Amino acid sequence: MGTWKTGRAGALTTTLTTALMAALVGTAALGGPAAADEKKIKVYLSLSYSGNAWQSEAANVVKALAATPPYDKLVELKEVISGTDPQAQISAYESMIDAGAQGIISFPVSATALNRVVKRGCSKGVKFFMYDATVTEPCAYNVSYVTAGFGENSAQALVNALGGKGKIFLSRGVPGNSVDKRHTDGAMSVFKKYPGIQVVSEYYSFWDDRTTQQETGKALAAHPDVDGIWAQAGEYGAIQALKDKGSKLVPVTGENSNGFRLALMDPAAKQAGLTGVSAGSPPATAGYAFKLMMEVLTAKRKLEPQNIEYPLPWVPADQVKVCKGQKFEDGCNAFPPNVVPNSFVTEVFNPELLPELSLQSALEGKPTPGATIQPLPAEVKRAPDSPGINCQPCKAPADEYKVTKVEVKPAR
Amino acid sequence: MTPATLDPALSASKDERRVTRVRPELVTVLSTFALSALLIVASRFVSPALGSWGQAATVVSLSSFLIVAAFGQGLVILVGGLDLSVASLITLSAVLCTTWVGPEAGAAGILLIPAILVVCALIGAVSGLGITVLGIPPFIMTMATGIIVAAGALGYTSGTPRGSAPAPLLALMKGEVAGIPLLLIFTAAFVIAAAVLQQATGFGRRLYAVGASARAAFVAGVPVTRTVVAAYMLSATASGVAGLMLVGYSDGATLRMGDSYLLPTIAAVVVGGSSILGGSGSFVATVGGAVLLTTLGTVIAALGIGQGWRTVIEGSIILIALLLLRENTFARIRSWFPR
Repeated sequence: MGTWKTGRAGALTTTLTTALMAALVGTAALGGPAAADEKKIKVYLSLSYSGNAWQSEAANVVKALAATPPYDKLVELKEVISGTDPQAQISAYESMIDAGAQGIISFPVSATALNRVVKRGCSKGVKFFMYDATVTEPCAYNVSYVTAGFGENSAQALVNALGGKGKIFLSRGVPGNSVDKRHTDGAMSVFKKYPGIQVVSEYYSFWDDRTTQQETGKALAAHPDVDGIWAQAGEYGAIQALKDKGSKLVPVTGENSNGFRLALMDPAAKQAGLTGVSAGSPPATAGYAFKLMMEVLTAKRKLEPQNIEYPLPWVPADQVKVCKGQKFEDGCNAFPPNVVPNSFVTEVFNPELLPELSLQSALEGKPTPGATIQPLPAEVKRAPDSPGINCQPCKAPADEYKVTKVEVKPAR
Repeated sequence: MTPATLDPALSASKDERRVTRVRPELVTVLSTFALSALLIVASRFVSPALGSWGQAATVVSLSSFLIVAAFGQGLVILVGGLDLSVASLITLSAVLCTTWVGPEAGAAGILLIPAILVVCALIGAVSGLGITVLGIPPFIMTMATGIIVAAGALGYTSGTPRGSAPAPLLALMKGEVAGIPLLLIFTAAFVIAAAVLQQATGFGRRLYAVGASARAAFVAGVPVTRTVVAAYMLSATASGVAGLMLVGYSDGATLRMGDSYLLPTIAAVVVGGSSILGGSGSFVATVGGAVLLTTLGTVIAALGIGQGWRTVIEGSIILIALLLLRENTFARIRSWFPR
C-alpha cells in the first residue's frame, strides 16, 4: 500500500511542504559533520510522506527498534522524508549513498523509477531494504505483503458473504499505482467467475478515509441498493458513508484500520447487516525489514538480495478481539476507541517477529521499556514473482491469484 | 395652506434602468443553480436512482465544506489576493479539534472550539500583515504560512492525529431538527449571514472598494490595511470552520484533510463569476459555483467510466461553464436583442 494521497486538486501545498521539509531534513541529516561515534552502522530511513497514520506508524516502528538495546549502541539511524515524487527520492538516495550509508531502509514511491540509483548504491555496497512497496531492481531486498493475495482473498470473502450474487462497489487506491493494480487484478479474477456479481461503481479513494467516505457517498447516491463494498485502505470511510445514508449496512471488506475492526465487532452494526474481513497492508513489515537488515549488516545472517513475503493479516468479523494492554496479546487485534484514533492501522505488531514493540513504539517511535531485540526465525518466506512489482522482466506463476484464506464456493 | 406640488410634467420619470437591465451577477447566480438542478434531473439517465432528493441531500452535505471555505477564499480574492493556506488551516483546525476537544469533552471542552477559530484567525492575521505591511505577494505569503502550519500540525501530532469528533460536531453533521438535516439549516444560516456581511455592510463595501482600487479606496478614507487583514482573518476562520465540519463528517482528523479543498475553493469563486483580479463578485454566486462543482462530481462519479476520462470531463465542463458565464458573453447575447 502506497498510502500517500495524491489528491487531484489539492496536492500543491503538500508537495511544496514535503519538498521543503525534504530539503531541510536532507541538509540537516546529510550535510553536517560526521557523527561522533564512527563505529556505529550508518542507516538511513527514507519514506514518502509522513502525513498519514500508516506511513508514520511504519517509520515509528523502525525508529523504536533502532532505539531498543542493543541496537541503540550499534546503529545510527537518520530519517529523510522525500515526498511522493520519485525524483525527490532519487536525489535523497543519491545523497545517502554519497554520505556513506551502509543500509537504506525505505518505502519506495515507484517500483521502477528508483532502479538506477538503487543499482548504483548496490555497487558501492549499500544494502537496500524496501518495505511494503517494492522495486523491480534485483539487487534490492523487497519485504512486502503485496504478493500475499489481499485482492483475491478479500474478494472471495465478499462473494461468500453475498452468496455469489449482488451489486458491489470497488473502492480503489491511487490511479496508476502498481499495488492498486495488483490488488484489483486479484479481486477481479474472483469477481469475474461469478456472473451474479455486478460491479456497479468503481472509484479511486487514494487510500484515505475521508476521500473514501466522499466517493462512496457519491456512489451511494447513484446506487442506494448496493449489496457489498470491496475496499482497499480507507475502508472506515466506506462504513461512515453507509451510516450517513441510513440504518442499512452491507458486507464490507477492507484493510486494517482500528475503526473498521471495531465496527466489525459492534453488535448493532452486525444487526444492521455489516460483516466482512479486515486484511491488507501491515506497517509491521517495516519493523521486520529493519530487523532483517540489521541481522545482515551485523553478519548474523547470510541473505542474498531477494523478494520476501510478509504474511497477509486476515481478521474476519468474528475474530476481532480488543486488546487490554499495549500489545497484541492472547490473539487480540484491535484497540479501544479512546486509545487510538479510527484511522490507526492496527497491524503494527507481530508477537512472533516483533515482540519488542508496544503501542508507544507505533505512536511515538519510542522503545518499549525493558525490551531487547530478539532474533528473527531463521526461515524467510520467498515471495513469488510478480512482473512490474518485484521483478522485470519475469513471469508470474500460474496460480498467481490463488485464493488461500477462504473457501472457494462454486458459482451458481 | 396646501403644500406645494410639482407639475407632474416637470418631475423626472422614474428611473427604470436597473429594472430593465438584467444584472450579470444575478444571471450568473441563476445559471449556476439552474445548471446544477438540470444536472441532477438529467442524471436520471445515468442511473435511475439519481435525480432524487437523496442525491440532492448528498450534494448539500458534500458542498457545505466547500461553501464555507470558499466564502473566505472569495473575500480574499475580492480584495485582490489569493489564499493558498486554506488546506493547511482546514487540517490544523481539524487536528486541534480532535486533540484538544475530543469525543468526551464536557461544556468546558466545547469552549475550546472558539479558541481553535481564534488560532486560525491569528494565523490569517499573520498572512494579512505580511501582505499589507511587508508587501509580500499574497500567494507567496499564504503559501508560506500554509507550509508552516502544515509542518506544525505534522510535528504536533508526530504523524498520527489522535482522538475523534466531539458530540456537538457529530450532531451538526448528522443530526436532524423536525426532519430537516441540521447541516442544511446551518449551511443556509451561514450563507445568509455571509452574504449579508459581504453585500450589505460597510465592511463589505470597503472590501469591494479596496479590491477595485486600493489607492482610490485609500484616498477615499478606507482603512486599507485593516480591511485586507480582516479579509485574511475571515478566510482563515472560514477554513477553520470547514475543518471542524469535516471532523464531524468523518469522525476524526487526518493530516491531509484539507488537501482536496484548496483549488476547488478558488474554482467555486471563479465559476461563480467573481473576477480573479478582485473588486467584483457575490457570495451567493460563489455558493452556486460550489454547488455546481459538487453536483458535477457526483454525476460524473456515477458515469462508471475510467478515472482519466472522468477528470477530462470534469475539467472540460468547468471550462465551458467559465466561458459561458463570463460577463461579456451576456453582453453579446443581449446585443442580439436590440431594445
